[in-house]
Amino acid sequence: MTTEDLVAFVKKNLISVACAVFTILIAALCYYRSDLLPEAQKVLDERSAKAALIAANIEDSAQLREQHARLVAANKLIADRMIHIGQLAENTGYFYRLESETGVHISDPKQSSWNPPGKGAPKTNYTWVGFSVSATGDYNQVLDFLRKLESGEHFCRVNSLLLRPVSEMRGGPMNINVSLELMAAME
Amino acid sequence: MALALKRKSDSSVPEVPNWHPNLRIVESLPDTKVVRTAFFVNGGFGVLALIALGYFLVQEWKLHEVNSQIADLEHQIDQGTHQSNDAVRLYKDFKVEAAKTDEVADFVSSRPLLSNIILRLGEITPKNIALDSLDFKENGLSIRATIKGAADKATLQIAPAFERLLRADPKFGAKFSEVNLVTIVKNNAGRMKIDILCTYRKEKK
Repeated sequence: MTTEDLVAFVKKNLISVACAVFTILIAALCYYRSDLLPEAQKVLDERSAKAALIAANIEDSAQLREQHARLVAANKLIADRMIHIGQLAENTGYFYRLESETGVHISDPKQSSWNPPGKGAPKTNYTWVGFSVSATGDYNQVLDFLRKLESGEHFCRVNSLLLRPVSEMRGGPMNINVSLELMAAME
Repeated sequence: MALALKRKSDSSVPEVPNWHPNLRIVESLPDTKVVRTAFFVNGGFGVLALIALGYFLVQEWKLHEVNSQIADLEHQIDQGTHQSNDAVRLYKDFKVEAAKTDEVADFVSSRPLLSNIILRLGEITPKNIALDSLDFKENGLSIRATIKGAADKATLQIAPAFERLLRADPKFGAKFSEVNLVTIVKNNAGRMKIDILCTYRKEKK
């Protein structure tokens, strides 16, 4: 087939040839752009997830600022109630203050030695220090002393306690031996 | 016509020409086709081209839709990113602060309030039982008491009843997983002394 024949064929079947060429071009274009839609879909999914996350963050944080402020204020109050390990006089003075408030007679409150947590220990904001204290008084005084220890100024955990009468006589003074821990600020 | 269909038996006989000449001039004959073949051919290619074009346009429309959605989302993301980052930062701070309060709450709640237990014990102890000592240890409480009254009644009735009472009390018994009478002996004065061991209930975490 010569060029002239080809030209003649094209001229004779102009519409068919044009349509065929157009179809081939469109097919090529479709093929060339076929990756765009899946890629765009992937980007859409990613952006949707990110937008949803951002929307959730914003929605969930509606009252976060106020709650955070309250928590910070509460933690400030908590921090004020911590003892300080190095302040031995003030720490033992706390028990004597309870003595004067409750009327019990305290004998020799002792602060246990404290060792800082090891290197592998989980990081904490506070620690605790052990104390042992013995007090004598009537039942109400002793119980008042214990209540003030447990729910007093400093955060306290009573590990062991022995409550018994001082003498065989019923209704007489009671003796209480307490081993406890007070929460302390990390020095 | 019948003659033409007859088979020649002898090939040597010369072929008989048509009985009349074909005088038609094909080019000059009138076109009697109602629809030309070219129409169908052009139509077929045209439809094919239209299908291809339609498919392409649908794909492009989808792409355009997805891209416009992406643009919307990116606009939302741009608008919310700052606020979201602030919220995330604040939440991190919040968690740090919450960890402090949790630490204190865990510390305080790790042991029961012993004063409450002592008060409750005082409330529910019968008058014929005198508490001698309360010894709170890490695992539980040891109650030492003296029972007033005859030894047989103290042994068979009062001591087991007190044990059951402690176990069943909603406030006292709820704090202990076990309440057991472990010792019952007679003292020098002839009174029965009992020792009841109460084991703390372990908190489920």
